[in-house]
This record gives sequence, C-alpha cells and structure tokens, in this order.
Amino acid sequence: MKIVWLWLSAYAIAWAGTIQNDEAFKSAVASMGKTDKLVLMIYTADDCPECAYMKKKVFLDKGVAGYLNANFVIVEKNVHKGKLPEDFDYFGIPTMFFIDKAGNKKETLIGSQRPEPFAKELHRIRGMK
Amino acid sequence: MKNVLIALMMGWAALGAYDAAHLKKTLEEKECVGCDLRGADLRNIDFSGGDLSRSDLSGADLSNSIFVMCSFDDANLSRAKALGAIFWKGSMERADLSHMQAKGANFKGTHLNRADLSHADLRETKSWKANFTEAKLFQTDFRGAELGDAKFIRNDLRTAKLKNALLWQTRFSESVMSKAQCSTAKREEAILDANVTCR
Repeated sequence: MKIVWLWLSAYAIAWAGTIQNDEAFKSAVASMGKTDKLVLMIYTADDCPECAYMKKKVFLDKGVAGYLNANFVIVEKNVHKGKLPEDFDYFGIPTMFFIDKAGNKKETLIGSQRPEPFAKELHRIRGMK
Repeated sequence: MKNVLIALMMGWAALGAYDAAHLKKTLEEKECVGCDLRGADLRNIDFSGGDLSRSDLSGADLSNSIFVMCSFDDANLSRAKALGAIFWKGSMERADLSHMQAKGANFKGTHLNRADLSHADLRETKSWKANFTEAKLFQTDFRGAELGDAKFIRNDLRTAKLKNALLWQTRFSESVMSKAQCSTAKREEAILDANVTCR
C-alpha cells in the first residue's frame, strides 16, 4: 500500500505542472539557444483591454520592442484556457512573470504599464542578478 | 469673526458626525444601506462584496481600502478621501463623488453612470473599462489616469483635465469635448463616434 502511495505521489509530482514541465516555457528556453535571455510570461484573458494594450501597443512600441526582443522571449498564457504552472499564481490580469532559463522567478509585474516606464522596468529586471 | 469661527466649528463637527452604530455595522458586516458614515475612518479595510448604497460617506477616509464589487449606488462620497483605494468592478451609479480625493485609486470596470464627479481628483487612477455614462465631469481631474476602454457617453468633458491620460480604445459617444481633447483622444487611438462634438 505504502509503495502504491509513494508511486502515486511521485506520479503527481512529475505531472504537477511546474514551470520546468511547461511546454511553452520549454520551447521558449529552446528558442533562446545559447543566448542568455529571460522568459516574459504574461497572463492574459480574452476580455482584458489592458492585456491587449500591452500586446498591441507597449510590446510593439519603438522604445520597447528592440530591447524586449533582444533580451526576452514572450510566452502568453490565457488564464481561462489550460493549466497554469505551479507557484505562478496571480491577483490581477495582466500579470507578467520574468523567469530565468532554470525556471527561477526573478520579478513579477501586475497590471499594464505605459511604454516608457515599462522599458525602464525591462532594463532594471535584466540587470538583476 | 466669531460667527465665522462658529460656522467653521459646526462644519468640522458635521464632518465627523457619523452614527457609531452604523460604523460598527459597516465594519462588522461590510454592509450598511442608507447609513450615516460622515467623516468615518474606513482606511486599510477589505470591504469586498459589501453594500454601502445610499449611505452618507461625505468627508470619510477610505484610503487604501478594498471595495471590490462593492455597491455605492446613490451614496454620498463628496469630499471623501480614497487615495489608493480599490473600487474594482464596483457600482457607484448616481453617487455624489464631487470633490472626492481619489488619486491613484482603482476604478477598473466600475459603473459610474450618472455619478457626480465634479472637481473630483482622479489623477493617476486605473479606470480601465469604467463606465462614465452621463456622469457629471465638471473640472474632474483625470491627469495621468488610465482610461483605456472606458465609456464616456453623453458627457460634457470640456472642463475635465485629461493631460497625459491614457485613452487607448476609450469610447466617446454623444459627448462634448474641447478641440484639444478631441485631437489628443484621436492621437491616443480613442474611439470617437459621429455624435461627439469638438468645440
């Protein structure tokens, strides 16, 4: 019985949906190759104008786009579709998590930001050790 | 001089003249309809899902409190202080918010239809998707506010301050705006329908 329980626990852990097991995260890390980028995982929802603003305006802003693409790989997750990785809970949408290749959460930003302050945040987060 | 002093003292007394039983009920139950909460100290408290409709909260201090999905319909919040308060998805229809100080507050998805926001300080508020239909906006200060996807229907915005306000996909309909406001709104990719008057 104990063995069965241990096996079930191990199975549950293996399939618990950690960030390291997340397919989108894995493919983002793979796309980095040897470059030392960070993953920007943004939680969105269909009916979220702030999310649309970030994606359609801020991420594409000329003061943001170059630095963003050079230093980050964006992963979008719709909070109403599919499972979210463990330890990445959210309070509001959009929430942006900045994660290193190993899956360590470096910073979390909640809510939308205008291009200029967002660019400053990107530089600050990139400079974090 | 003596009369002025007496008037000032009376005014001060009126500001803090809430009903203690009503305040107790509000703090314990998060619900107090039609209550007297004038000048009450309601800072740093979570009132989410509460109902304070038709209550008199004039001069009250609501700063940094949370009122998620709370009802303030027909309430009086004139001269209330609500710095950094969260009114997310709440309802403030027909409420008196004149002279309210709500810098940095969150009004995301809040219904403010027919509310009186005259002279209200809404600087740097997060007001995405808020509904301002037929709200009174005389000298309302929206400077630096995020008003993306908010609705302004049948409003006179000419005296409202919109400098540095985020107006992306903000909907203006059947409203009157100054020419400067119209050009700013268009530049910010707001949606102005044919019934908006720019003058």
